[in-house]
Amino acid sequence: MTLKNKSCIVGIGSTEFTRNSGRSEIQMAVEAALAACEDAGLAPEKIDGMVHFGTSGQAVMEIATETDVARCLNIPNLHYFAEAPWGGGACCATVMHAAMAVAAGVAKYVLCYRALKPASGQVRYGRPSSMPLDSHWSYSLPFGFASPTSWVAMFTTRWMHETGATHDDLADLAMVCRDNAVVNPRAIFYGRPITREDYYKSPMLCYPFRMHDTCLENDGATAVIVTTPERARDLKQKPAYISGVAMATADDSYCMMSFYREKIGIPETAWMGKDLFRMAEMTPEDVDVCQFYDAFTSLVPMQMEALGFVEEGGGAAFVRGGDRIRPSGELPINTSGGMLSEAYIHGMNLIAEAVRQIRGTSSTQIPDVEVSMSTGGLGVPTSGLILTQG
Amino acid sequence: MALELNEKYLGYFYTPLAENFEEGFWKAVKQRKLVFQRCKDCGQWLHPPRPLCHKCRSDDLEWVESSGKGKIYSYVVYTRTVNPLYTVPFEVVLVEMDDEKVRILSNMKDTDPDELYIGMPVEVEFVDVTDQWPLPWFRKATGT
Repeated sequence: MTLKNKSCIVGIGSTEFTRNSGRSEIQMAVEAALAACEDAGLAPEKIDGMVHFGTSGQAVMEIATETDVARCLNIPNLHYFAEAPWGGGACCATVMHAAMAVAAGVAKYVLCYRALKPASGQVRYGRPSSMPLDSHWSYSLPFGFASPTSWVAMFTTRWMHETGATHDDLADLAMVCRDNAVVNPRAIFYGRPITREDYYKSPMLCYPFRMHDTCLENDGATAVIVTTPERARDLKQKPAYISGVAMATADDSYCMMSFYREKIGIPETAWMGKDLFRMAEMTPEDVDVCQFYDAFTSLVPMQMEALGFVEEGGGAAFVRGGDRIRPSGELPINTSGGMLSEAYIHGMNLIAEAVRQIRGTSSTQIPDVEVSMSTGGLGVPTSGLILTQG
Repeated sequence: MALELNEKYLGYFYTPLAENFEEGFWKAVKQRKLVFQRCKDCGQWLHPPRPLCHKCRSDDLEWVESSGKGKIYSYVVYTRTVNPLYTVPFEVVLVEMDDEKVRILSNMKDTDPDELYIGMPVEVEFVDVTDQWPLPWFRKATGT
């Protein structure tokens, strides 16, 4: 028994991505859900399962619950609901929940979604108002070590030291992602390219990260709908088959604070990748296009190493100059602009883009895509997804 | 240069919280001592603390005072304010302790960001961050 190709993504939908949505997470979640239903050709009341996520109960205000969404869509009842913890680490895990639920027959159509408004809402990651009351944070927050940027910066400093990665390499990656956003009308940075000079001129936020190393801070929501291949036949879109989906922790995993194990970095992703490729019966060479979770530039080459796209320590060399990761390169990445340049929807927008690459509808479409991958947040328990033509 | 705390924002200090098995660490901090948890059965060091030894599953644990000497394993430099209590620029360091080989997050006292490097020898110095809380910071190691 395997989950491979037992389910597929049949609908994707988003709100606009904006610096100030002027409305609540609940409203945005409902709008994204309706857009996904419209895209799929599915009556909203048919949805009978939901999976969503936030930041592990640390910020309850930002959660649009399944009951909030269901009561707005006139859904009579849900047969399956789940919340996947760990912020962006959960994005592909929502699809795993959904895949298991529809394959097991406990639900027919599962909606996976994330709505957030860190640009204009009450919850802004790292600010004093968002400090979680949990003893794990006692070893970091009293030292002013209080932002996701700085937490990823800590294992990035070490990675740069160990591998010889440079800021020039990170600039190359930021520019490739931006080039992809420039032609994506949904992207916050649509039509706004950056140069290497822009990268170096952008303010240092927390060494070694400049502003252009960090993802967007925006409002928005993205939803996807998962069902079985049999039910997909009655819907509008070409299904994106879920060939691989996985979640993983690693030794001594914390929420962004995994600094105490032998090697700091992202071993969660290495474990996740083993399960992901095993289920899909593939290797990294089979992947035609990948949406790497890019909350910060360094995370992309680090993932390439952890997932086996390159040898350990080879990530920076792979992204250097950008030619191998551009649309014309051997491994095109983050074709919507990613979270560095399209929008930061905790990875759900990366899943939507992975689906577009299967359908052939991306603003930066890679020709003849058979295998389309996306990954979840780093430095936390994580997840990943491989979609195919079936 | 040292990290300067903006006293206007002392209310933004994150008061350490402890589960029962962590209390030994924070009680020692209040007494200006840096201690780490060690398994009395197999000798494994544990930090941050655990209710039992993950290596041999013994719950016979003890608190052992550290020499306070270590080396910088990694670091960051805040140049943009996140929590206004902490005046930028300031450093957060991840120190690997020489004897126990456990790591601890902290701040640097009297050190410019440009002086930091991975492998830099440092030693603990307790600093009164609030009138309730001295915290184990680090300074450049002075001698052998």
